[in-house]
Amino acid sequence: MGDNSDSKVNLYPLALLMDELKHDDISNRVEAMKKLDTIALALGVQRTRDELIPFLTEVAQDDEDEVFAVLAEQLGNFVPFVGGRKYATLLLPALEILASTEETLVREKAVDSLNMVAEQLTEEQLLHDFVPLIENLATNEWFSSKVSACGLFKAVFVRIQDDKFRKDLLSLFLQLIQDDTPMVRRAAGRNLPTLVDQLTEHPELSTDDEWDYISSMFQRLVNDSQDSVKFLAVDVLISILKFFNKKKDFTHTKDLLQSSIQLIGDEAWRVRYMAADRFEELASQFVSNPQYVSELLEPFLALCQDNESDVRKAIAKQIPGYAKLLNDPSVILNRIIPAAQNLSIDETECVRASLALEITNLAPLLPKQDSMDSLVPILLHMLKDEFPDVRLNIIAKLKIVNESVGIEFLSENLLPAITELAKDPNWRVRLAIIEYIPLLAEQLGMEFFDSKLSDLCLSWLWDGVYSIRSAAITNLSKLTEIFGSDWAQEEIISRLLKSDTQLLENFNYRITLLFALTGLVPVVSTDVVVEKILPFVNHLSTDNVPNIRFNVAKFYAVIVEALTKNTNKNHIELINNTIIPTLEKLCQDPDVDVRFFSAQSLEKCKSFLS
Amino acid sequence: MDVDTDVPMHDAVEDQLDSTLDEEAPGFDNGLASSSPGTSGIADNKATKPVELTGSSIGQLDAWLEKLSQCQCLSEEDVAKLCKMAVDVLQFEDNVQPVSVPVTICGDVHGQFHDLIELFKIGGPCPDTNYLFMGDYVDRGYYSVETVSYLVALKVRYPSRITILRGNHESRQITQVYGFYDECLRKYGSANVWKMFTDLFDYFPITALVDNKIFCLHGGLSPMIETVDQVRELNRIQEVPHEGPMCDLLWSDPDDRGGWGISPRGAGFTFGQDISEQFNHTNDLSLIARAHQLVMEGYAWSHQQSVVTIFSAPNYCYRCGNQAAIMEVDDTMNRQFLQYNPSVRPGEPTVSRKTPDYFL
Repeated sequence: MGDNSDSKVNLYPLALLMDELKHDDISNRVEAMKKLDTIALALGVQRTRDELIPFLTEVAQDDEDEVFAVLAEQLGNFVPFVGGRKYATLLLPALEILASTEETLVREKAVDSLNMVAEQLTEEQLLHDFVPLIENLATNEWFSSKVSACGLFKAVFVRIQDDKFRKDLLSLFLQLIQDDTPMVRRAAGRNLPTLVDQLTEHPELSTDDEWDYISSMFQRLVNDSQDSVKFLAVDVLISILKFFNKKKDFTHTKDLLQSSIQLIGDEAWRVRYMAADRFEELASQFVSNPQYVSELLEPFLALCQDNESDVRKAIAKQIPGYAKLLNDPSVILNRIIPAAQNLSIDETECVRASLALEITNLAPLLPKQDSMDSLVPILLHMLKDEFPDVRLNIIAKLKIVNESVGIEFLSENLLPAITELAKDPNWRVRLAIIEYIPLLAEQLGMEFFDSKLSDLCLSWLWDGVYSIRSAAITNLSKLTEIFGSDWAQEEIISRLLKSDTQLLENFNYRITLLFALTGLVPVVSTDVVVEKILPFVNHLSTDNVPNIRFNVAKFYAVIVEALTKNTNKNHIELINNTIIPTLEKLCQDPDVDVRFFSAQSLEKCKSFLS
Repeated sequence: MDVDTDVPMHDAVEDQLDSTLDEEAPGFDNGLASSSPGTSGIADNKATKPVELTGSSIGQLDAWLEKLSQCQCLSEEDVAKLCKMAVDVLQFEDNVQPVSVPVTICGDVHGQFHDLIELFKIGGPCPDTNYLFMGDYVDRGYYSVETVSYLVALKVRYPSRITILRGNHESRQITQVYGFYDECLRKYGSANVWKMFTDLFDYFPITALVDNKIFCLHGGLSPMIETVDQVRELNRIQEVPHEGPMCDLLWSDPDDRGGWGISPRGAGFTFGQDISEQFNHTNDLSLIARAHQLVMEGYAWSHQQSVVTIFSAPNYCYRCGNQAAIMEVDDTMNRQFLQYNPSVRPGEPTVSRKTPDYFL
C-alpha cells in the first residue's frame, strides 16, 4: 500500500483496501489495516458509515488475530471518521465481536477502544446502546466475553444519574464476581477498585444499597477458593477504605481493620505478598485513628518474618513508610529496628537488596543518638554485604543519613568501609563510591580529606576500567570546585606531573593524565593552566600515538576557551605563538583523525579569539 | 525466574564448554533459501581508490552513530547508504590487515548490543581507544541489526581507529539459521537489509596483524596455510566457502591433541600445540589471538600461551553465565585482560530484579 500515490488512494480507496485485505499474505492485510484512518478520511463520513463500517464488521468475523488486533485499535479513534458522536454507536457491533474473540490481545484492544468510544457517547446513547452491549457480553456463555464485560463497567458506572440503573449494573457485576470460571472472577476483581474509586470521586451518588453490593462483592473475593482471585481483595480493600475516609464515615473502619489483619495473615502467600507490597498504602488509610495503625504492628512484624522470601522482599521496602505512620520513636527503636536488623541478615540476597533501598529513610524518624547507636551499625554491616546490589543501594542513599546523624560521625565509621569498597571487584560499586566522594569532601573539610582520601582519589585514575578513570577525572574537577585552585595545584597537579617516566610509556597512563589535566582547566586559575598544564599538553602534541595527538588538538580548544575568558595580552600572545602554530602543524598530520580534530579545534580557537 | 525461557535449558553450560558447543556448518544440501551474492546493489558503484570522508558524510555518520548508540535501528535507506560507504572502506583493506598498537582486541559479540555498550564503558569509547573485533557480530542475541550497524558505522567514521574482521557468522548461510535473517525480516519487514549486510560481509578482512607480532583471526589455522603471506594471496571477496583455507581461518579451533584433527563442527580443523608453535616460529609471531569459542572467564590461553581465545559476549545467549573479556595491548606491547559481566539492562532498576508476575 505504501507505494501507491495519493491520487490512487483517492480514486479507488475501498477497492484497494479490500484487495489488500484479501491478500494472501497476512503482513499485507495487517499493513492495510494500519492505513484504515487514511482510507476513511478519503471516503468521507457518509461512505465510511454506509460501506466501510459494514465491511469491517464482516472482516471482524473472518480473519487472523493479527489483523483483528490492528482493527480493534483503529476503531477506538474512529468516531470523527463516521461523523462524530451522533453516529458513534455504529462502531459498537464490530467492537463487540472483537471483544468476544479468544485472543487476549485482541480483546484488550477492543475493550480499550470501546471505552474510548463510550467517552464520547451521550447518556441516552449509553443507556440505549452501550449498556445492552455490556449485558450481552456479561451474560454470554463463553468466558472471554465476560472478561471483556468486566472492563466496560467503568465507562458507564457514574455517567448515568439514575440510582436504579447503577444498582442493576452492580447486581450484574456481582454475578460476574461469583462466576464459575476464575478468569472472569479475576477480571471482575481487578476492575472493582476502579468502580469503588469512581464512587469516591462522586460522593453525591452513593447510596447504602450500593455499599451492600460492594461489601458482598468484597466478601466473595476474600473467601474465593483461588489465591489468584483472592489476592485482588487487597486493592479492593484499599479502595473501600479510601471511599469511607473521603465520606468521613468511620463506622466500618473497625471491621475493615479486621479484614486487613485477616488478609495480611492469610494462609496463601500470594495474598500476603500483595498485602506486604501495598502495606504502607493500606496502613495509611487508618491514620485517623493512631490506635488502629498500632494494631497493624504485630501483623507487620509477622510479614517481616514470613516464610516466603518474596513476601519479606516486599515488606522490606515498606518499613520506613509504615514507621513514619506509627510516628513513635520508641516503637520504631524497640520493634521496627530489630525487624530491620533481622532482614539485613536475611538469607536471600534480594530481600537484603530490597531493604537496602529504603532503610536509610528510618534515620530522620529517630533521635540522632538512637540512629547512631542502632541504625548506623546495621548500615555498616550492610555495606559489607557479599551481594553488590546491597552495598550499592546503601551507598546511593547515604545522604539522608548524613543529614540526621551528621557527616562526622558517619565518616569516622564509614571511612574503613569506603576504603574497602574503593577496591570492590564490581566496578559499579566503585563508581557509586566515587560519585559519593564530593559530598563527603564538602562536609569533611580539606584537612581531613587530604589526610584520608586524596590518595584514594588519585589511585582511581589508574583503574583498569575506563568508566572508573573517567569518573575519577570528573571527581577531581568537582573536588577542585570545592577546595579551590591552589589546592588542586598542590595536591593534584603537582603530584600528577611528578609521575615517573616509565609509567608515561603506557598509553592509558598518558591519555588519562591528559584527560585529567584538561578536566581541571575550567576550574583552576589561568596561571596554573599556563605554567603547569599547557607545557605538558604541548609535550604530548608530538606523541607517537595518533589518539593522543588528536586529543591534544581537542584540548587546545578547551585551554583557549579558558584563557580568552578574561582579556590578557600575554595569554593572547601565548595562544598565537604556541597553540595556533602547533594546531596548524597537527592539521598536516599523517593520520586522518588527527587532521579532522585539529581542523575542528583550530576553528573553535579562532572563534574564541575573535 | 531469572532464566530466559526463550532459550531451552537442556544444553546447559557444561555442554557449551565443549568445543562442539557451537553450531555445525550447514552442508550444500541444507534446503535453505538460496540467495545470490551481490544482488543488494551495495557494491554496484565501487570507488576505484580510497576516498576521504566529506564534511557532510561525517555529519551523517555522527547522527547515525548517535541514533544507533540508543539501540535504535537505521532506516532501510540509511543502511543502504552505510553499506555502500563501508564497501568503499573495506575493499581497500588487506586480507591481513595491519594494525598498530595500542589496540584493544575483542571477541564474539553476537547481537548482545547492551553488552557491546558495556564493552566500550570498560575499554573506553572509540575513537579515543583503538579496537580490533574478531568477528561474529550477528546471530543469537536479540540486537544483531543494531550491533552490526553500529560497528560498521564506527568503521566507516573512524577507519584507522577500528578494525572489524569476518567471523564464521558473517555469512549468508549461517545467518539464515541462527537469527540474523529472521531479525532483519522482523525489524524491516523484508530481507533487503539482510542482503545488504551479507553482501558487505564479503568485503570484511579475514585476519589482522598487530605490530607484526600478534596474528588475529576469528577461528584458527589451516593445513593449507603455512605463512601469513599465503593468506594475503587468497581471494576473500566471496561467501565463506565450505572448505579450503578461507573456511578454516574462520572455523578452526585449537585442541589439546597435537597435529591436525577433524573438527566436530563440520568445517575447519582442530590444530595442536605443535602446529601453533611452528606457525608462530615461521612467521616470527609472539601470539595468535582468536575468538569463536565460549570461554567461561572471557579469555583462555592454550598451547602454552601461543594461542589466546577471547570471547566478548557475557552471559552468552543470556544464560551461559560466562564472563566476557577484552585484551588491551599497549604501545609497549604489554597485554592486559579486562573481564566484565553483563550490562545492567536499560529500563530495569539497577538493583532489585523485576518482581515476578506470579499472578498472570
